Amino acid sequence: MASLTMYPEDERLSGGNRAAFNLYIVTAVILFVLMMLVGLTMRMTQARWLDVPPDLFYELLSMHGAGMVGTMSLATTAVMWFFLRKYVHLHLWAFLANYVLFLLGALCIIVSIFVYGYGALWTFLYPLPVHGVGMWTADSSALFMLGYLLIGVGSLLFYLDAAAAIIKVHGNLGRALGLQWLFGGKIDPDHPKAVVASTMVIIANSLGILAGAVVLVMSLVNIFYPQVVLNALVAKNLIYWFGHMYINATIYMGVIAIYELLPRYTGKPYPISRPFLWSWAVSTVFVVVVFPHHLLMDFAQPRWLAIMGQIVSWGAGFPVFLVTAYGALTNIYRSNIRWTMPSRLMILSMFGWAAGIVPAILDGTIRINSVMHNTQWVPGHFHFYILLGVLAMALSLMFHEIGSRAHAAPDSRADRLGFPVYLIGGLIFVFGFLDGGRVSVPRRMAEHLQAWTFSDRIGSIGAILVVLAMLYFAIRITVGLLKPPSPSWAPEPVPGPIPEPVPSPLVSPAPSPGVVGVGTTNAAG
Amino acid sequence: MVLQMLVQIPLLALAGWWLAPLLTRRIVDTFSTWNRSGISGILLASLVAVVWMLPRALDAALETSWVALAKFTSVPLLVGMPLAISWPRAGFVVRGVWLVEAIAMAFRLGWLYTVSPARLCSNYLLGDQRQTGKVMLAIGVAACLLLAWKLVWGHNRIERVR
Ligand code: HEM
Repeated sequence: MASLTMYPEDERLSGGNRAAFNLYIVTAVILFVLMMLVGLTMRMTQARWLDVPPDLFYELLSMHGAGMVGTMSLATTAVMWFFLRKYVHLHLWAFLANYVLFLLGALCIIVSIFVYGYGALWTFLYPLPVHGVGMWTADSSALFMLGYLLIGVGSLLFYLDAAAAIIKVHGNLGRALGLQWLFGGKIDPDHPKAVVASTMVIIANSLGILAGAVVLVMSLVNIFYPQVVLNALVAKNLIYWFGHMYINATIYMGVIAIYELLPRYTGKPYPISRPFLWSWAVSTVFVVVVFPHHLLMDFAQPRWLAIMGQIVSWGAGFPVFLVTAYGALTNIYRSNIRWTMPSRLMILSMFGWAAGIVPAILDGTIRINSVMHNTQWVPGHFHFYILLGVLAMALSLMFHEIGSRAHAAPDSRADRLGFPVYLIGGLIFVFGFLDGGRVSVPRRMAEHLQAWTFSDRIGSIGAILVVLAMLYFAIRITVGLLKPPSPSWAPEPVPGPIPEPVPSPLVSPAPSPGVVGVGTTNAAG
Repeated sequence: MVLQMLVQIPLLALAGWWLAPLLTRRIVDTFSTWNRSGISGILLASLVAVVWMLPRALDAALETSWVALAKFTSVPLLVGMPLAISWPRAGFVVRGVWLVEAIAMAFRLGWLYTVSPARLCSNYLLGDQRQTGKVMLAIGVAACLLLAWKLVWGHNRIERVR
């Protein structure tokens, strides 16, 4: 069962682990701010407050899409690594290899976009990358795809190392998922939820990366040998299998933070249960086959795939979401939860996930999809659960960790101001998109008609607030992480007898070092 | 085409795998310092295998006797044998990367062979090529299912690698 100790010893970061975690998180928050500025520029262009030429707009849209998806994956990979390493032995080299390959991939993507003008968006849908009509060359598309390949290889290395470590402890991935307890038997109460969720992500995302490895290389073949014509529908299926899985997996990596941290802030245990295992088992299968909901408008798609897309869309996210939301709510109920930044962000993430799922499920319905899918409804739904759901999950760990360095759960006055700015700004921003969808404003348009600009302007105002809040969070987190470790944790383990584990101390009157109750005075603010 | 690419060449590699135990301990040990975690051996095998994936090389092996000789010697000695020596040394990650890439390659070549408008080998007809492509796609699916089954339900033992 997840620890109730606020900052347990086995989570302590030191040496290479600490440096690697800091690299991931500082890179991620900087990239988030930059990509949000790119997003804001686009939104203000749509609102006609800025005058960005269309070719640059599509470069920015390509950068924002690829950059945000990649950065979200980077941040949530750090979440998965942070908790999983307590239960299985992960190698630091794999975690770092992922980081280095990510940076190399990002470099290829940035150069392909801003030096060579690539503008065929993050989905590189065949055959658009080879039809730049003078705005970009096929070579720049090849560089963009090479960037994706590098990032995919990095993720694969990390997942393989994690799979090896999990199998070493649990024998196989099925046992790690807890399949042996689905129909009966006494569930091991110490079976870590982090292992269950990580196993699901490893299975689903490895399959997605395999699909990506196939379609990316085939697209490269097409770039260099245009005689080899690909079936556009097969390519699109594979691209969405890869792309959808990649971004979807970030939720399932991010949610590990909730499972691990929430009980510490509520002070109530969050036990593992059979419905929990069932939900993850079902979602493991559903998540792999849910991607056809991106192709509901493709009339050439076999009918059964479209129907499967609709049915599975209704079911895919639900089991894990319901079990997690129900579990979180019962955990909070009568818990005397203390509201500090990590706990606020965790509850926000549950709300963002819950509310964002509603427009997503609507869009996953064939009838509605054929009217809504190419409208701003779609950026509305995914920004909802990514910005207010997944990013909030990742931020909760970041704030928790800076709390561990400062010996107090972060809750400064500026934090208390930054949080509502982020929440209210986020809501205004996503409702701007959803309202655009309601009135059928098409998505991915560099220029908007005057009649559409009302929701664009509202959305832009929300986005400004989000960017301001995120800028503050980024500075706060970076400064917090770069602080030297708290004195009690600073030295390497002292030779001699191993200290006793510290007893559960949620609200300890005189906090022992490294074990800070949420109620302790705030030294960080 | 199916016979040469997907039966003969794999069988030649298998022959090399079976020959590996005949190597003396001394020879194996001499190379082992350059073969940490089996990476060099697996890389050598992959690079040589790449040559025999080229349609041009397959054609030449049918038309020119010295190329045929090169195939019959290089595939067992430079693909099968190094794989046999290196595979047990390779850790889970190295094996995983190799297998994922092999499966991806089966899908890519399968796709390519089924859609290519031109004959890639002058010795084989378009129908043959498409047939080979389909078999490769089937191999990719089967390998994927097998691997997934083994990882999710199988008995896996992961040891420290040399
Ligand atoms: C302040 C925050 C953000 C702003 C202002 C912003 C703005 C935008 C805008 C204006 C678009 C184009 C909408 C259209 O199709 O008309 C867009 C698309 C997109 N955004 Fe964001 N965004 C933000 C945060 C995020 C985050 C956190 C993610 C995380 C993954 C993200 C991922 C995406 C993706 C994947 C697309 C689709 C790109 C495409 O259609 O090719 N955005 N965003």
